[in-house]
Amino acid sequence: MKNKSNFSTEHLQYLKKQRNRSILVNVVRIAFLAFLLAVWELAAALEWVNPFITSSPSRIVKTIGDLYTGGTLFYHINTTLTETLVGFFIAVVVGYSVALLLWWSELFRKISEPYLVVLNALPKIALGPLIIIWCGTGSEAIVFMTVLIGLIVAILNMLGGFMATDESKLLLLRSMGASKWQTLTKLVIPSSLPTFISMLKINVGMAWIGSIMGEYIVSKAGIGYLIVYGGQVFKLDLVMSSVLILCVLAAVMYALVALLEKLVVKNVD
Amino acid sequence: MKEVLRFENVCMRYHSKQGETVAVENLNFSVKEGEFTAIIGPSGCGKTTLLSLAAGLLKPTQGKIVTSGVSFGYMLQRDELFPWRTIEKNLYLPLEIKGTNTLEQRNKALELAEKYGLKQFLKSYPSSLSGGMRQRAALIRTLALNPDVLLLDEPFSALDYQTRLNVCNDVYKIIRQEHKTALLITHDISEAISVADTVFVLSKRPAKIVAEHSVVFLEDEPLKRRENKEFSKWFEILWGELNA
Ligand SMILES: Nc1ncnc2c1ncn2[C@@H]1O[C@H](COP(=O)(O)OP(=O)(O)OP(=O)(O)O)[C@@H](O)[C@H]1O
Ligand SMILES: [Mg+2]
Repeated sequence: MKNKSNFSTEHLQYLKKQRNRSILVNVVRIAFLAFLLAVWELAAALEWVNPFITSSPSRIVKTIGDLYTGGTLFYHINTTLTETLVGFFIAVVVGYSVALLLWWSELFRKISEPYLVVLNALPKIALGPLIIIWCGTGSEAIVFMTVLIGLIVAILNMLGGFMATDESKLLLLRSMGASKWQTLTKLVIPSSLPTFISMLKINVGMAWIGSIMGEYIVSKAGIGYLIVYGGQVFKLDLVMSSVLILCVLAAVMYALVALLEKLVVKNVD
Repeated sequence: MKEVLRFENVCMRYHSKQGETVAVENLNFSVKEGEFTAIIGPSGCGKTTLLSLAAGLLKPTQGKIVTSGVSFGYMLQRDELFPWRTIEKNLYLPLEIKGTNTLEQRNKALELAEKYGLKQFLKSYPSSLSGGMRQRAALIRTLALNPDVLLLDEPFSALDYQTRLNVCNDVYKIIRQEHKTALLITHDISEAISVADTVFVLSKRPAKIVAEHSVVFLEDEPLKRRENKEFSKWFEILWGELNA
Protein backbone atom coordinates (compact mmCIF):
# COMPACT_ATOMS: atom_id res chain seq x y z
CA MET A 1 0.00 0.00 0.00
CA LYS A 2 1.27 3.43 -0.92
CA ASN A 3 1.26 6.01 1.78
CA LYS A 4 -1.14 8.84 1.66
CA SER A 5 1.07 11.59 0.35
CA ASN A 6 1.85 9.50 -2.73
CA PHE A 7 -1.73 9.15 -3.86
CA SER A 8 -2.68 10.88 -7.06
CA THR A 9 -5.16 13.74 -6.73
CA GLU A 10 -7.63 11.59 -8.59
CA HIS A 11 -7.38 8.92 -5.92
CA LEU A 12 -7.69 11.50 -3.13
CA GLN A 13 -10.84 12.78 -4.77
CA TYR A 14 -12.15 9.24 -4.96
CA LEU A 15 -11.49 8.71 -1.25
CA LYS A 16 -13.13 11.99 -0.42
CA LYS A 17 -16.19 11.05 -2.42
CA GLN A 18 -16.42 7.72 -0.62
CA ARG A 19 -16.13 9.43 2.74
CA ASN A 20 -18.76 12.01 1.89
CA ARG A 21 -21.06 9.28 0.75
CA SER A 22 -20.78 7.36 4.02
CA ILE A 23 -21.37 10.57 5.98
CA LEU A 24 -24.46 11.20 3.88
CA VAL A 25 -25.80 7.70 4.55
CA ASN A 26 -25.37 8.11 8.31
CA VAL A 27 -26.89 11.57 8.39
CA VAL A 28 -29.94 10.45 6.42
CA ARG A 29 -30.36 7.38 8.63
CA ILE A 30 -30.43 9.50 11.78
CA ALA A 31 -32.58 12.18 10.20
CA PHE A 32 -35.07 9.55 9.07
CA LEU A 33 -35.35 8.15 12.60
CA ALA A 34 -35.72 11.64 14.07
CA PHE A 35 -38.38 12.44 11.51
CA LEU A 36 -40.35 9.26 12.33
CA LEU A 37 -40.15 9.94 16.05
CA ALA A 38 -41.21 13.56 15.57
CA VAL A 39 -44.21 12.65 13.42
CA TRP A 40 -45.20 9.92 15.89
CA GLU A 41 -44.93 12.29 18.84
CA LEU A 42 -46.76 15.06 17.04
CA ALA A 43 -49.53 12.79 15.84
CA ALA A 44 -50.07 11.58 19.38
CA ALA A 45 -49.81 15.03 20.97
CA LEU A 46 -52.29 16.58 18.53
CA GLU A 47 -54.48 13.51 18.85
CA TRP A 48 -54.50 12.78 15.13
CA VAL A 49 -54.28 9.24 16.40
CA ASN A 50 -55.27 7.86 19.75
CA PRO A 51 -52.09 7.82 21.87
CA PHE A 52 -53.71 5.21 24.06
CA ILE A 53 -53.41 2.79 21.14
CA THR A 54 -50.31 4.05 19.34
CA SER A 55 -48.33 5.24 22.35
CA SER A 56 -45.70 7.89 21.64
CA PRO A 57 -41.98 8.44 22.09
CA SER A 58 -42.45 10.57 25.19
CA ARG A 59 -44.79 8.00 26.73
CA ILE A 60 -42.25 5.27 25.98
CA VAL A 61 -39.48 7.25 27.66
CA LYS A 62 -41.72 7.81 30.64
CA THR A 63 -42.70 4.12 30.83
CA ILE A 64 -39.10 3.01 30.73
CA GLY A 65 -38.27 5.64 33.35
CA ASP A 66 -41.06 4.31 35.58
CA LEU A 67 -39.83 0.76 35.19
CA TYR A 68 -36.38 1.96 36.12
CA THR A 69 -37.46 3.88 39.21
CA GLY A 70 -39.76 1.03 40.13
CA GLY A 71 -36.67 -1.14 40.14
CA THR A 72 -38.01 -3.75 37.75
CA LEU A 73 -36.45 -2.60 34.47
CA PHE A 74 -33.20 -4.48 34.89
CA TYR A 75 -34.93 -7.38 36.54
CA HIS A 76 -36.96 -7.99 33.39
CA ILE A 77 -34.05 -7.30 31.06
CA ASN A 78 -31.83 -9.65 33.04
CA THR A 79 -34.39 -12.41 33.03
CA THR A 80 -34.85 -12.38 29.27
CA LEU A 81 -31.19 -11.73 28.52
CA THR A 82 -30.09 -14.66 30.68
CA GLU A 83 -32.63 -17.00 29.11
CA THR A 84 -31.63 -15.88 25.65
CA LEU A 85 -27.89 -16.17 26.22
CA VAL A 86 -28.07 -19.53 27.99
CA GLY A 87 -30.35 -20.89 25.27
CA PHE A 88 -28.11 -19.43 22.57
CA PHE A 89 -24.94 -20.98 23.99
CA ILE A 90 -26.49 -24.37 24.58
CA ALA A 91 -27.95 -24.43 21.06
CA VAL A 92 -24.64 -23.35 19.51
CA VAL A 93 -22.42 -25.71 21.50
CA VAL A 94 -24.69 -28.75 21.23
CA GLY A 95 -25.52 -27.96 17.59
CA TYR A 96 -21.85 -27.67 16.69
CA SER A 97 -20.99 -30.91 18.46
CA VAL A 98 -23.82 -32.86 16.86
CA ALA A 99 -22.81 -31.49 13.45
CA LEU A 100 -19.24 -32.68 14.09
CA LEU A 101 -20.52 -36.11 14.96
CA LEU A 102 -22.64 -36.24 11.83
CA TRP A 103 -19.67 -35.14 9.73
CA TRP A 104 -17.55 -37.86 11.30
CA SER A 105 -19.92 -40.75 10.64
CA GLU A 106 -21.57 -41.04 7.26
CA LEU A 107 -23.85 -43.78 8.53
CA PHE A 108 -25.06 -41.66 11.40
CA ARG A 109 -25.58 -38.78 8.97
CA LYS A 110 -27.70 -40.83 6.59
CA ILE A 111 -29.79 -42.28 9.41
CA SER A 112 -30.52 -38.94 11.01
CA GLU A 113 -31.32 -37.05 7.79
CA PRO A 114 -35.13 -37.51 7.74
CA TYR A 115 -35.37 -36.73 11.45
CA LEU A 116 -33.49 -33.49 11.00
CA VAL A 117 -35.64 -32.49 8.06
CA VAL A 118 -38.86 -33.10 9.98
CA LEU A 119 -37.62 -31.44 13.16
CA ASN A 120 -36.49 -28.46 11.13
CA ALA A 121 -39.89 -28.05 9.51
CA LEU A 122 -41.82 -28.54 12.76
CA PRO A 123 -43.06 -25.26 14.27
CA LYS A 124 -41.55 -25.55 17.74
CA ILE A 125 -44.34 -23.52 19.32
CA ALA A 126 -46.51 -26.58 18.80
CA LEU A 127 -44.53 -28.20 21.59
CA GLY A 128 -45.55 -25.45 24.05
CA PRO A 129 -47.86 -27.57 26.23
CA LEU A 130 -45.31 -30.37 26.36
CA ILE A 131 -42.60 -27.99 27.42
CA ILE A 132 -44.71 -26.65 30.25
CA ILE A 133 -45.41 -30.16 31.48
CA TRP A 134 -41.83 -31.31 31.13
CA CYS A 135 -39.99 -28.26 32.36
CA GLY A 136 -42.50 -26.48 34.53
CA THR A 137 -43.25 -22.80 34.28
CA GLY A 138 -39.87 -21.37 35.24
CA SER A 139 -36.96 -20.10 33.24
CA GLU A 140 -36.02 -23.68 32.35
CA ALA A 141 -39.02 -23.96 30.07
CA ILE A 142 -38.04 -20.80 28.25
CA VAL A 143 -34.43 -21.84 27.87
CA PHE A 144 -35.66 -25.18 26.57
CA MET A 145 -37.79 -23.45 23.96
CA THR A 146 -34.85 -21.27 22.94
CA VAL A 147 -32.58 -24.28 22.55
CA LEU A 148 -35.21 -26.15 20.58
CA ILE A 149 -35.58 -23.33 18.10
CA GLY A 150 -31.85 -22.73 17.63
CA LEU A 151 -30.52 -26.26 17.78
CA ILE A 152 -31.68 -27.74 14.49
CA VAL A 153 -30.73 -24.59 12.61
CA ALA A 154 -27.28 -24.75 14.18
CA ILE A 155 -26.84 -28.42 13.31
CA LEU A 156 -27.97 -28.05 9.70
CA ASN A 157 -25.90 -24.93 9.09
CA MET A 158 -22.72 -26.33 10.57
CA LEU A 159 -23.10 -29.70 8.90
CA GLY A 160 -23.51 -27.88 5.60
CA GLY A 161 -20.31 -25.98 6.33
CA PHE A 162 -18.36 -29.10 7.26
CA MET A 163 -19.57 -31.04 4.24
CA ALA A 164 -18.64 -28.20 1.91
CA THR A 165 -14.94 -28.65 2.68
CA ASP A 166 -12.99 -28.37 -0.54
CA GLU A 167 -12.46 -31.79 -2.14
CA SER A 168 -8.98 -31.00 -3.44
CA LYS A 169 -7.81 -29.86 -0.03
CA LEU A 170 -9.13 -33.09 1.43
CA LEU A 171 -7.21 -34.98 -1.24
CA LEU A 172 -4.08 -33.00 -0.42
CA LEU A 173 -4.32 -33.96 3.25
CA ARG A 174 -4.98 -37.57 2.36
CA SER A 175 -1.88 -37.58 0.18
CA MET A 176 0.09 -36.39 3.22
CA GLY A 177 -1.33 -39.31 5.17
CA ALA A 178 -3.52 -37.23 7.48
CA SER A 179 -5.78 -39.01 9.96
CA LYS A 180 -9.45 -38.15 10.17
CA TRP A 181 -8.79 -36.21 13.35
CA GLN A 182 -6.04 -34.19 11.65
CA THR A 183 -8.30 -33.55 8.69
CA LEU A 184 -10.91 -32.25 11.09
CA THR A 185 -8.66 -29.99 13.10
CA LYS A 186 -6.37 -28.73 10.34
CA LEU A 187 -8.87 -28.31 7.55
CA VAL A 188 -12.57 -28.88 8.23
CA ILE A 189 -12.88 -26.71 11.32
CA PRO A 190 -10.76 -23.75 10.12
CA SER A 191 -12.31 -23.69 6.67
CA SER A 192 -15.82 -23.69 8.13
CA LEU A 193 -15.16 -20.65 10.29
CA PRO A 194 -17.22 -18.31 8.07
CA THR A 195 -20.13 -20.76 8.27
CA PHE A 196 -19.73 -20.76 12.03
CA ILE A 197 -20.00 -16.99 12.16
CA SER A 198 -23.03 -16.88 9.90
CA MET A 199 -24.59 -19.62 12.03
CA LEU A 200 -24.00 -17.45 15.11
CA LYS A 201 -25.70 -14.54 13.39
CA ILE A 202 -28.71 -16.62 12.47
CA ASN A 203 -28.85 -18.05 15.97
CA VAL A 204 -28.86 -14.62 17.60
CA GLY A 205 -32.20 -14.09 15.89
CA MET A 206 -33.37 -17.61 16.72
CA ALA A 207 -32.51 -17.21 20.40
CA TRP A 208 -34.60 -14.06 20.72
CA ILE A 209 -37.50 -15.70 18.93
CA GLY A 210 -37.15 -18.65 21.29
CA SER A 211 -36.99 -16.69 24.52
CA ILE A 212 -39.79 -14.28 23.68
CA MET A 213 -41.98 -17.08 22.39
CA GLY A 214 -41.19 -19.05 25.51
CA GLU A 215 -42.19 -16.10 27.65
CA TYR A 216 -45.43 -15.78 25.73
CA ILE A 217 -46.30 -19.33 26.72
CA VAL A 218 -45.08 -19.38 30.30
CA SER A 219 -43.51 -16.65 32.33
CA LYS A 220 -43.60 -14.50 35.38
CA ALA A 221 -40.96 -12.06 34.26
CA GLY A 222 -39.00 -10.86 31.25
CA ILE A 223 -39.49 -8.62 28.24
CA GLY A 224 -41.81 -11.11 26.56
CA TYR A 225 -43.82 -11.28 29.75
CA LEU A 226 -44.11 -7.47 29.79
CA ILE A 227 -45.35 -7.51 26.20
CA VAL A 228 -48.01 -10.12 26.90
CA TYR A 229 -49.00 -8.47 30.15
CA GLY A 230 -49.11 -5.03 28.52
CA GLY A 231 -51.35 -6.40 25.79
CA GLN A 232 -53.71 -8.08 28.22
CA VAL A 233 -54.22 -4.98 30.37
CA PHE A 234 -54.17 -2.72 27.32
CA LYS A 235 -51.04 -0.83 28.37
CA LEU A 236 -49.67 -0.30 24.92
CA ASP A 237 -46.99 2.05 26.23
CA LEU A 238 -45.55 -0.95 28.00
CA VAL A 239 -45.74 -3.08 24.85
CA MET A 240 -43.99 -0.45 22.75
CA SER A 241 -41.34 0.16 25.42
CA SER A 242 -40.62 -3.55 25.63
CA VAL A 243 -40.32 -3.88 21.87
CA LEU A 244 -37.90 -0.96 21.84
CA ILE A 245 -35.77 -2.54 24.58
CA LEU A 246 -35.81 -5.78 22.60
CA CYS A 247 -34.61 -4.00 19.46
CA VAL A 248 -31.70 -2.51 21.36
CA LEU A 249 -30.69 -5.79 23.01
CA ALA A 250 -30.89 -7.78 19.77
CA ALA A 251 -28.88 -5.13 17.94
CA VAL A 252 -26.16 -5.16 20.60
CA MET A 253 -25.91 -8.95 20.47
CA TYR A 254 -25.73 -8.93 16.69
CA ALA A 255 -23.06 -6.23 16.81
CA LEU A 256 -20.99 -8.37 19.18
CA VAL A 257 -21.11 -11.28 16.74
CA ALA A 258 -20.19 -8.96 13.89
CA LEU A 259 -17.24 -7.75 15.95
CA LEU A 260 -16.19 -11.34 16.57
CA GLU A 261 -16.36 -11.90 12.83
CA LYS A 262 -14.01 -8.98 12.22
CA LEU A 263 -11.56 -10.38 14.75
CA VAL A 264 -11.45 -14.00 13.61
CA VAL A 265 -12.38 -14.17 9.94
CA LYS A 266 -9.56 -12.50 8.13
CA ASN A 267 -8.04 -14.98 5.81
CA VAL A 268 -10.59 -17.55 4.89
CA ASP A 269 -11.68 -17.33 1.28
CA MET B 1 18.57 -47.21 -13.94
CA LYS B 2 16.56 -48.30 -10.93
CA GLU B 3 12.77 -48.32 -11.21
CA VAL B 4 10.98 -46.51 -8.40
CA LEU B 5 7.46 -47.20 -9.55
CA ARG B 6 5.98 -49.89 -11.77
CA PHE B 7 2.37 -50.52 -12.83
CA GLU B 8 1.70 -54.16 -13.77
CA ASN B 9 -1.56 -54.85 -15.59
CA VAL B 10 -3.35 -52.35 -13.42
CA CYS B 11 -7.12 -52.03 -13.75
CA MET B 12 -9.26 -49.57 -11.85
CA ARG B 13 -13.05 -49.51 -11.82
CA TYR B 14 -15.19 -47.05 -9.95
CA HIS B 15 -18.51 -48.15 -8.59
CA SER B 16 -21.34 -45.76 -8.02
CA LYS B 17 -25.13 -45.97 -8.07
CA GLN B 18 -25.14 -44.86 -11.69
CA GLY B 19 -22.99 -47.80 -12.66
CA GLU B 20 -19.45 -48.84 -13.17
CA THR B 21 -16.71 -46.73 -14.70
CA VAL B 22 -13.59 -48.37 -15.97
CA ALA B 23 -11.06 -45.60 -15.46
CA VAL B 24 -7.86 -47.50 -16.13
CA GLU B 25 -7.40 -50.80 -17.91
CA ASN B 26 -4.42 -53.06 -18.23
CA LEU B 27 -1.89 -50.38 -17.59
CA ASN B 28 1.81 -51.13 -17.72
CA PHE B 29 4.57 -48.61 -17.33
CA SER B 30 7.41 -47.73 -15.05
CA VAL B 31 9.17 -44.66 -13.75
CA LYS B 32 12.94 -44.65 -13.40
CA GLU B 33 14.83 -43.04 -10.58
CA GLY B 34 15.99 -39.50 -11.25
CA GLU B 35 13.98 -39.20 -14.44
CA PHE B 36 11.31 -36.74 -15.33
CA THR B 37 8.44 -38.78 -16.70
CA ALA B 38 5.38 -37.21 -18.28
CA ILE B 39 2.10 -38.90 -19.06
CA ILE B 40 -0.24 -37.20 -21.47
CA GLY B 41 -3.83 -38.13 -22.06
CA PRO B 42 -7.11 -36.57 -23.09
CA SER B 43 -9.39 -34.96 -20.48
CA GLY B 44 -11.24 -37.40 -18.28
CA CYS B 45 -9.24 -40.41 -19.41
CA GLY B 46 -8.19 -41.41 -15.92
CA LYS B 47 -5.01 -39.43 -15.31
CA THR B 48 -5.86 -38.34 -11.79
CA THR B 49 -6.91 -41.88 -10.99
CA LEU B 50 -3.52 -43.06 -12.17
CA LEU B 51 -1.70 -40.69 -9.82
CA SER B 52 -3.93 -41.56 -6.89
CA LEU B 53 -3.09 -45.20 -7.55
CA ALA B 54 0.62 -44.42 -7.63
CA ALA B 55 0.39 -42.48 -4.37
CA GLY B 56 -1.45 -45.38 -2.76
CA LEU B 57 -4.59 -43.32 -2.16
CA LEU B 58 -6.57 -45.85 -4.20
CA LYS B 59 -6.20 -49.60 -4.40
CA PRO B 60 -6.28 -51.06 -7.91
CA THR B 61 -9.16 -53.40 -8.74
CA GLN B 62 -6.70 -55.67 -10.48
CA GLY B 63 -2.98 -55.81 -11.08
CA LYS B 64 -0.09 -54.66 -9.02
CA ILE B 65 1.68 -51.42 -8.29
CA VAL B 66 5.26 -51.92 -7.25
CA THR B 67 7.08 -49.17 -5.44
CA SER B 68 10.61 -49.74 -4.23
CA GLY B 69 10.06 -48.29 -0.78
CA VAL B 70 10.10 -44.70 -1.97
CA SER B 71 8.08 -41.86 -0.51
CA PHE B 72 5.74 -39.74 -2.61
CA GLY B 73 4.87 -36.06 -2.63
CA TYR B 74 1.69 -34.93 -4.32
CA MET B 75 1.20 -31.63 -6.09
CA LEU B 76 -2.25 -30.71 -7.30
CA GLN B 77 -3.74 -28.70 -10.11
CA ARG B 78 -4.32 -25.72 -7.86
CA ASP B 79 -1.91 -24.81 -5.10
CA GLU B 80 -4.43 -25.57 -2.33
CA LEU B 81 -2.56 -23.40 0.13
CA PHE B 82 -4.71 -22.91 3.21
CA PRO B 83 -5.83 -19.27 3.08
CA TRP B 84 -5.99 -18.96 6.87
CA ARG B 85 -2.32 -19.90 7.27
CA THR B 86 0.66 -17.78 6.40
CA ILE B 87 3.00 -19.18 3.76
CA GLU B 88 5.36 -20.26 6.53
CA LYS B 89 2.61 -22.12 8.37
CA ASN B 90 1.51 -23.67 5.09
CA LEU B 91 4.99 -25.04 4.60
CA TYR B 92 4.85 -26.62 8.06
CA LEU B 93 1.52 -28.34 7.35
CA PRO B 94 2.98 -31.62 6.07
CA LEU B 95 5.37 -31.68 9.03
CA GLU B 96 2.47 -31.30 11.45
CA ILE B 97 0.58 -34.08 9.68
CA LYS B 98 3.55 -36.41 9.79
CA GLY B 99 4.31 -35.52 13.38
CA THR B 100 7.82 -34.40 12.45
CA ASN B 101 7.29 -30.74 13.23
CA THR B 102 10.71 -30.35 14.82
CA LEU B 103 12.93 -27.31 14.75
CA GLU B 104 15.30 -29.15 12.44
CA GLN B 105 12.59 -30.07 9.95
CA ARG B 106 11.14 -26.59 10.06
CA ASN B 107 14.53 -25.09 9.37
CA LYS B 108 14.95 -27.37 6.38
CA ALA B 109 11.65 -26.16 4.99
CA LEU B 110 12.68 -22.59 5.60
CA GLU B 111 15.99 -23.17 3.88
CA LEU B 112 14.18 -24.42 0.80
CA ALA B 113 11.85 -21.44 0.89
CA GLU B 114 14.79 -19.10 1.12
CA LYS B 115 16.72 -20.85 -1.62
CA TYR B 116 13.79 -20.59 -4.00
CA GLY B 117 12.83 -16.99 -3.37
CA LEU B 118 9.97 -17.27 -0.94
CA LYS B 119 11.70 -15.69 2.02
CA GLN B 120 10.01 -12.32 1.77
CA PHE B 121 6.57 -13.95 1.60
CA LEU B 122 6.89 -16.25 4.59
CA LYS B 123 4.76 -14.07 6.85
CA SER B 124 2.23 -13.24 4.13
CA TYR B 125 -1.06 -14.94 3.52
CA PRO B 126 -1.50 -16.81 0.23
CA SER B 127 -4.09 -14.31 -1.03
CA SER B 128 -1.39 -11.66 -1.35
CA LEU B 129 0.80 -13.80 -3.62
CA SER B 130 0.66 -14.14 -7.38
CA GLY B 131 -0.51 -17.42 -8.87
CA GLY B 132 3.03 -18.33 -9.83
CA MET B 133 4.43 -17.64 -6.37
CA ARG B 134 1.63 -19.63 -4.79
CA GLN B 135 2.36 -22.64 -6.97
CA ARG B 136 6.01 -22.33 -6.04
CA ALA B 137 5.03 -22.30 -2.36
CA ALA B 138 2.97 -25.42 -3.01
CA LEU B 139 6.04 -27.09 -4.46
CA ILE B 140 8.15 -26.18 -1.45
CA ARG B 141 5.39 -27.52 0.79
CA THR B 142 5.55 -30.79 -1.14
CA LEU B 143 9.33 -30.85 -0.83
CA ALA B 144 9.23 -30.17 2.91
CA LEU B 145 8.80 -33.88 3.63
CA ASN B 146 11.71 -34.63 1.35
CA PRO B 147 9.84 -37.13 -0.85
CA ASP B 148 11.75 -39.30 -3.32
CA VAL B 149 9.17 -39.03 -6.06
CA LEU B 150 7.00 -36.04 -6.94
CA LEU B 151 3.59 -36.72 -8.42
CA LEU B 152 2.38 -33.69 -10.33
CA ASP B 153 -1.26 -33.57 -11.42
CA GLU B 154 -1.52 -30.85 -14.07
CA PRO B 155 0.13 -28.46 -11.64
CA PHE B 156 0.22 -25.53 -14.05
CA SER B 157 -3.12 -25.81 -15.79
CA ALA B 158 -4.81 -23.26 -13.54
CA LEU B 159 -2.28 -20.55 -14.45
CA ASP B 160 -2.48 -18.15 -17.36
CA TYR B 161 -0.31 -18.98 -20.36
CA GLN B 162 2.69 -16.75 -19.69
CA THR B 163 2.82 -17.57 -15.99
CA ARG B 164 2.44 -21.24 -16.82
CA LEU B 165 5.56 -21.26 -18.98
CA ASN B 166 7.58 -19.42 -16.36
CA VAL B 167 6.39 -21.43 -13.40
CA CYS B 168 6.89 -24.66 -15.31
CA ASN B 169 10.45 -23.57 -15.98
CA ASP B 170 10.96 -22.71 -12.30
CA VAL B 171 9.47 -25.89 -10.98
CA TYR B 172 11.48 -27.93 -13.44
CA LYS B 173 14.73 -26.33 -12.29
CA ILE B 174 13.90 -26.83 -8.63
CA ILE B 175 13.04 -30.48 -9.15
CA ARG B 176 16.28 -31.06 -11.05
CA GLN B 177 18.33 -29.18 -8.51
CA GLU B 178 16.87 -31.23 -5.68
CA HIS B 179 17.52 -34.43 -7.67
CA LYS B 180 13.96 -35.62 -7.47
CA THR B 181 12.20 -38.17 -9.58
CA ALA B 182 9.05 -36.68 -11.06
CA LEU B 183 5.92 -38.03 -12.66
CA LEU B 184 3.93 -35.31 -14.39
CA ILE B 185 0.40 -35.85 -15.62
CA THR B 186 -0.93 -33.40 -18.15
CA HIS B 187 -3.14 -32.97 -21.18
CA ASP B 188 -0.82 -30.28 -22.50
CA ILE B 189 1.44 -31.85 -25.12
CA SER B 190 3.96 -29.02 -25.26
CA GLU B 191 4.31 -28.97 -21.51
CA ALA B 192 5.16 -32.66 -21.54
CA ILE B 193 7.75 -32.25 -24.29
CA SER B 194 9.35 -29.28 -22.58
CA VAL B 195 10.10 -31.11 -19.34
CA ALA B 196 10.18 -34.86 -19.84
CA ASP B 197 12.87 -37.46 -20.35
CA THR B 198 10.20 -40.03 -21.06
CA VAL B 199 6.68 -39.40 -22.35
CA PHE B 200 3.86 -41.93 -22.19
CA VAL B 201 0.73 -41.34 -24.23
CA LEU B 202 -2.59 -42.53 -22.87
CA SER B 203 -5.67 -43.47 -24.85
CA LYS B 204 -9.18 -42.25 -24.10
CA ARG B 205 -10.90 -43.83 -21.13
CA PRO B 206 -10.25 -46.51 -20.09
CA ALA B 207 -6.67 -45.31 -20.07
CA LYS B 208 -4.08 -47.53 -21.71
CA ILE B 209 -0.54 -46.72 -22.79
CA VAL B 210 -0.48 -46.25 -26.56
CA ALA B 211 3.11 -45.03 -26.93
CA GLU B 212 6.33 -44.41 -25.08
CA HIS B 213 9.02 -41.96 -26.16
CA SER B 214 12.42 -41.00 -24.89
CA VAL B 215 12.61 -37.31 -25.45
CA VAL B 216 16.19 -36.11 -25.79
CA PHE B 217 17.12 -32.46 -26.12
CA LEU B 218 20.47 -30.75 -25.93
CA GLU B 219 18.91 -28.02 -23.85
CA ASP B 220 17.93 -28.78 -20.34
CA GLU B 221 15.37 -26.11 -19.66
CA PRO B 222 11.73 -26.03 -20.67
CA LEU B 223 11.80 -22.54 -22.15
CA LYS B 224 14.91 -23.31 -24.23
CA ARG B 225 13.49 -26.61 -25.37
CA ARG B 226 10.48 -24.82 -26.72
CA GLU B 227 12.74 -22.85 -29.07
CA ASN B 228 14.39 -25.96 -30.45
CA LYS B 229 13.45 -27.18 -33.96
CA GLU B 230 12.91 -30.69 -32.60
CA PHE B 231 10.13 -29.38 -30.41
CA SER B 232 7.51 -29.07 -33.13
CA LYS B 233 8.51 -32.44 -34.53
CA TRP B 234 7.76 -34.03 -31.17
CA PHE B 235 4.55 -32.09 -30.94
CA GLU B 236 3.33 -33.49 -34.24
CA ILE B 237 4.13 -37.06 -33.26
CA LEU B 238 2.38 -36.82 -29.90
CA TRP B 239 -0.54 -34.89 -31.34
CA GLY B 240 -1.07 -37.68 -33.82
CA GLU B 241 -0.96 -40.37 -31.18
CA LEU B 242 -3.21 -38.52 -28.80
CA ASN B 243 -5.87 -38.03 -31.44
CA ALA B 244 -5.62 -41.46 -33.00
N1 LIG C 1 -14.58 -41.39 -7.06
C1 LIG C 1 -15.06 -41.69 -8.28
N2 LIG C 1 -16.20 -42.41 -8.39
C2 LIG C 1 -16.71 -42.72 -9.60
N3 LIG C 1 -16.15 -42.36 -10.78
C3 LIG C 1 -15.02 -41.64 -10.74
C4 LIG C 1 -14.41 -41.26 -9.48
N4 LIG C 1 -13.31 -40.54 -9.75
C5 LIG C 1 -13.22 -40.46 -11.09
N5 LIG C 1 -14.23 -41.14 -11.70
C6 LIG C 1 -14.42 -41.29 -13.14
O1 LIG C 1 -13.27 -41.91 -13.69
C7 LIG C 1 -12.92 -41.30 -14.92
C8 LIG C 1 -11.48 -40.84 -14.88
O2 LIG C 1 -11.38 -39.78 -13.91
P1 LIG C 1 -10.02 -39.02 -13.64
O3 LIG C 1 -10.31 -37.92 -12.70
O4 LIG C 1 -8.98 -39.99 -13.25
O5 LIG C 1 -9.68 -38.44 -15.08
P2 LIG C 1 -8.65 -37.28 -15.49
O6 LIG C 1 -7.97 -37.76 -16.72
O7 LIG C 1 -7.81 -36.90 -14.35
O8 LIG C 1 -9.65 -36.13 -15.86
P3 LIG C 1 -9.32 -34.56 -16.00
O9 LIG C 1 -8.66 -34.39 -17.32
O10 LIG C 1 -10.70 -33.97 -15.96
O11 LIG C 1 -8.47 -34.17 -14.84
C9 LIG C 1 -13.91 -40.19 -15.17
O12 LIG C 1 -14.87 -40.64 -16.09
C10 LIG C 1 -14.54 -39.95 -13.82
O13 LIG C 1 -15.88 -39.58 -13.98
MG1 LIG D 1 -7.52 -34.96 -13.32
